[in-house]
Amino acid sequence: MKKISDLKINDTAIVKKIVALEPVKGRLQSMGLVKGAKVKVLEHTLAKQTWDIISGNTKIALREEEARGVLIDRINENA
Amino acid sequence: MLKTIKVAIVGQPNVGKSSLINAISNAKLHVGNFSGVTVEKKEVFLKTDLYDIDMTDLPGIYSLNAYTPEEQVAKNFLINEDFDIILNVVDANTLSRNLIFSLQLMDMHKKMILVVNMVDEIESKGGKIDKDALESLLGIPVILTSAKEHKGVDEISTQIIKLKKEDKKANKIYYDERVEQRIEKLAKTLQKSPHFRDDDYARFIAIRLLDRDEQVYKIIHDLPIFIEVHSMLEKMYKNLELEFDEDSTTDILSNERAAIAYNLQMEALNLKDEDEGMSEKIDNILIHPILGLPIFLFFMWALFQLTFELGNIPMNFIGEMFTQTQNFLADFLPKGMFNSLLTDGVLPAVGAVVMFLPNILILFFGLNLLEQTGYMSRAAYLMDGFMKRFGLQGKAFVPLVSGFGCTVPAYMAARTLKNPKDRIITMLVLGFMSCGARLPIYVLIIAAFFANHNPGNVLFAIYIGGAILGLIVAKILRTVLFKGEPEPFVMEMPPYRFPSSKALFMDLWIKTKMFLKKAGTFIAFASMIVWFLSAYPKNDMITQNFQTKIEQAKSSKAKAALKNELNAKLLENSYLGSVGKFIEPVFAPLGFDWRMSVSVVAGLAAKEVVVSTMGTLYAVGGESGASKGLISKIRENVDFKAAVALLLIIMIYSPCLAAMSTFYAEIPQWAWRVFYTIYPNVVAWIFAYSAYKIL
Repeated sequence: MKKISDLKINDTAIVKKIVALEPVKGRLQSMGLVKGAKVKVLEHTLAKQTWDIISGNTKIALREEEARGVLIDRINENA
Repeated sequence: MLKTIKVAIVGQPNVGKSSLINAISNAKLHVGNFSGVTVEKKEVFLKTDLYDIDMTDLPGIYSLNAYTPEEQVAKNFLINEDFDIILNVVDANTLSRNLIFSLQLMDMHKKMILVVNMVDEIESKGGKIDKDALESLLGIPVILTSAKEHKGVDEISTQIIKLKKEDKKANKIYYDERVEQRIEKLAKTLQKSPHFRDDDYARFIAIRLLDRDEQVYKIIHDLPIFIEVHSMLEKMYKNLELEFDEDSTTDILSNERAAIAYNLQMEALNLKDEDEGMSEKIDNILIHPILGLPIFLFFMWALFQLTFELGNIPMNFIGEMFTQTQNFLADFLPKGMFNSLLTDGVLPAVGAVVMFLPNILILFFGLNLLEQTGYMSRAAYLMDGFMKRFGLQGKAFVPLVSGFGCTVPAYMAARTLKNPKDRIITMLVLGFMSCGARLPIYVLIIAAFFANHNPGNVLFAIYIGGAILGLIVAKILRTVLFKGEPEPFVMEMPPYRFPSSKALFMDLWIKTKMFLKKAGTFIAFASMIVWFLSAYPKNDMITQNFQTKIEQAKSSKAKAALKNELNAKLLENSYLGSVGKFIEPVFAPLGFDWRMSVSVVAGLAAKEVVVSTMGTLYAVGGESGASKGLISKIRENVDFKAAVALLLIIMIYSPCLAAMSTFYAEIPQWAWRVFYTIYPNVVAWIFAYSAYKIL
């Protein structure tokens, strides 16, 4: 399954599952990254080490390691 | 005697809770600490005709599955403290995410009010929040507010009183039938214990247990029903996870709440999907993969230029004011010990410190501005990749930058780092970020030795140099003392907002008050001691000896030279001279005279004291004790190499006593405390020595 870290800038996707240990998982969920939530990649740094995504009006910064833990289905509107 | 209503104000971070509290009319704000921890506790007291309303503002908390120490404080308050009403503040812009937490709160089955804040932002986008729909769906009172436009804010107290009088219980949240069955069964079992007789409380504990809340689990762990509850729970976890095909019951409940919250938002929020918001447009530039970092560094550079250039203007004025007062009092007051204490000891010292108030205020103002506009979290995003290389994480950037203001709050800001290793490394190198109180010393030395080399650039180099050293030390600490990956990095980036000028200036006012208080009390007291040590014991032999020489001297120039020599001799033979002589061997390899040595050691009490001590030591008996005079005195008495060594010592060695005690309070392990107390001073000495030898 694809992960957030596989996406490109401006890609949109639906969250399928969060694979992370607590408390990271809980933190991601409380920021709105739950099953079924829509996310969009807004930006990532040059080396793709840090990602900026938006979900339901909340912008979240996360590292590649955490972005790999958010499994998604791409629904690319900009392809 | 009025009845008191106790209210807990709860909300996720960045929902505008603080501005909301500031906007409540006729309220008295009290700022303190939660007992036992250094988390800020704000209380709001409101008097009405019938009731006293006592509201406690809890730290921002994302969910009851607490993550940071601040969240833990909020959770402990909710679970353990006695209060009547929960005032849950949510941000209208991120309604559904906020409501997930509201649903967790509603599990507590307490009287609750939902405050939907920042409705003005929704309305300006042409949207609308349906208050009635939210009220009927949630079954609790809802208030729409805008702290910025002062809308709905005063409805809060009316609603609190109304709710207090009502004898109606809050609504329950009903989960999926399969979950509900388990909650009911578990609650029944819990009720066998006298601790959970209350239906609502038993239900709440049951839900928390299914949510795998470790803190609540510990509560039942020591109770006789534990064995029964434990085996029941294990079975429930297994079966529910199978039935829902999820990894954990936490996920099941979390998905349930998210679904309810999403539907609530669909019913209550009328807003078309927007295209690109203002914040995204700004972010396209400010966190641009290539442009982002240079822009950020430019902001930092501009801030330090402003601090130096703009701060210089009132500086001269304040210095002049103190010199005038000193001269006036020296003539006006009867000659003697008190006169000398005031005009040679206290006034020059306090004056030398107060002069730097403008610089410090500009720096703090800039840092606050970065924080409140939401840019600080962008800075953390930009810096994370870089910081990771030094064994730190992007979030550590915020305490590190705060360290440029004051090390004390910076140590506290390091609490947002959850991993203890990340936290301690960050705290150990925080002292290398030069705090505002060191600024006066830099400015003094730069003015004396680098006046012709663009002082702003030299200052910038000092600050950057300290930061780079800190990063290198962090990397060394990470490799030598700790191995393993740094803590995960997940951070909300709040939308850009215009900072509330009220909050900005309120904060500056508090800083000014604290700084002046420190100057007026602690520094004045310290300078009195330094003055006493420098003026006693009285040595009449030397004085008489020189007096005759001075009288015999022919030219006024010779007289002045002899006077200076007398003062130096007197100082050398004072208590302070002896202390300086005693510690001189330590600093002698750095080219320091005893006066510099004493000043540096005094700086361990507070960095402001370095300048004030120099003020006293170099200016005693001089024509003017003010800092402008001090600059030329230092230029005459200190050579360039020693001045650079002094700069390095100040940059690197231990921060002030207040900061050190904060570190001790935050870090309980003695090994770390000892290490923290010794190593910066050793590093500082080595750097200063090398510089002195090489130059």
